[in-house]
Amino acid sequence: MASTSDNSAVGMPQLDFSTFPNQIFWLVVFCVVLFAIVKFFIIPRMEDIFANRRKIIDGNIAKAEEIRLRVNEIEKQIEEELQKAKSQCDEIMSTSGNNIKEQMALALEDSKIATTQLISEAEGRLKELRDGSEAAIEKISEELASEIISKISRGK
Amino acid sequence: MEKQSAFNIHPMDQFIIDPILTGDSLEWYSFTNQALWMLISLVSISFVFIYGSRKHQLVPGRLQSIAELLYFFIRDMIIDIAGQEGLRYFPYIFTLFILILFGNVLGLLPYSFTYTSHIAVTGFLALSVFIAVTIIGFVKNGLGFLSLFWISSAPLALRPILLIIEVISYFVRPVSHSIRLAGNMMAGHAVIKVFAGFAGALGLGAIAPIFAITAVYGLEMLVVVIQAYVFTILTCVYLNDALHPGH
Repeated sequence: MASTSDNSAVGMPQLDFSTFPNQIFWLVVFCVVLFAIVKFFIIPRMEDIFANRRKIIDGNIAKAEEIRLRVNEIEKQIEEELQKAKSQCDEIMSTSGNNIKEQMALALEDSKIATTQLISEAEGRLKELRDGSEAAIEKISEELASEIISKISRGK
Repeated sequence: MEKQSAFNIHPMDQFIIDPILTGDSLEWYSFTNQALWMLISLVSISFVFIYGSRKHQLVPGRLQSIAELLYFFIRDMIIDIAGQEGLRYFPYIFTLFILILFGNVLGLLPYSFTYTSHIAVTGFLALSVFIAVTIIGFVKNGLGFLSLFWISSAPLALRPILLIIEVISYFVRPVSHSIRLAGNMMAGHAVIKVFAGFAGALGLGAIAPIFAITAVYGLEMLVVVIQAYVFTILTCVYLNDALHPGH
């Protein structure tokens, strides 16, 4: 017979087949209700939570990707700027070097001209001096000659 | 009966189906202690899964963590074992899992009733799985489902013998599936009850059985979860057989 509350079990209550219809009836009710809860409350809720989390994570990843791209761009810009500055610097250096060379060449030329001028001037002066001294020697020798002549003639 | 009072152990009394509203008569519709604990289980499930995650938190709190853990544990298990097609049956398998899990875990409360310790309950569940899987197998594969029993990778001479073994093992499935669960639940609870009876009889010496109860209780905590897991994973394996019978 079905076991009742005040008797203790004889053998295994699990094998008391008279309780089976009752157990299965309540189990079916339980299963149906539980399935409805799972299907209409638990699954949508869990999927919603999961989808939300997925969305936010994906959003963050996309944002990170965007920032990474921007960083790359900025890096490239910096690189470009650096390159430009470098080439400018090179240019300035080369032009200033040329300038200096030119000026040096100019200065060299100037000094050469000045030197040749000075040399020719000095030569002129020298020649003048030589001419002058020749004339003076001539004059002196003339005077000397005349004096000698007069002295000689006087002495005679 | 007088002799029993000195050593009064009734380890099986906890499994008696007791109509708690209609007095002593048990009709098929009587509300019993078993039905009550199914109701409590329903409330607990709703508490964990609906109340616990009502805020849809991005970073889950305690209850929501439990809910998510169980949910995605079963989901991943189905995908691992039965593949993406198996996900169609996820609501059924998940229902089965939490029904058994909560039944097992709530059964560990003192004075509670473990509905999963009844062979009628586990037998019904296992038989439902068996019938459902067989129908799915035939609907999805037609007669190709029978290739499950004809092991084409074995030598031809062995195949008829394997056929017999496979057919027998197929039809034994619901039996082993249900008795494994009910047997585990019943044995653990009966053992605890026996030790509790010792403790009641021994007076001061009760410290030893109480220690034993604590140890068995710890073991049972493990067993209830593992058995729920085993029942579910076997369901997935059977489902996989139905979806891909060609091995």
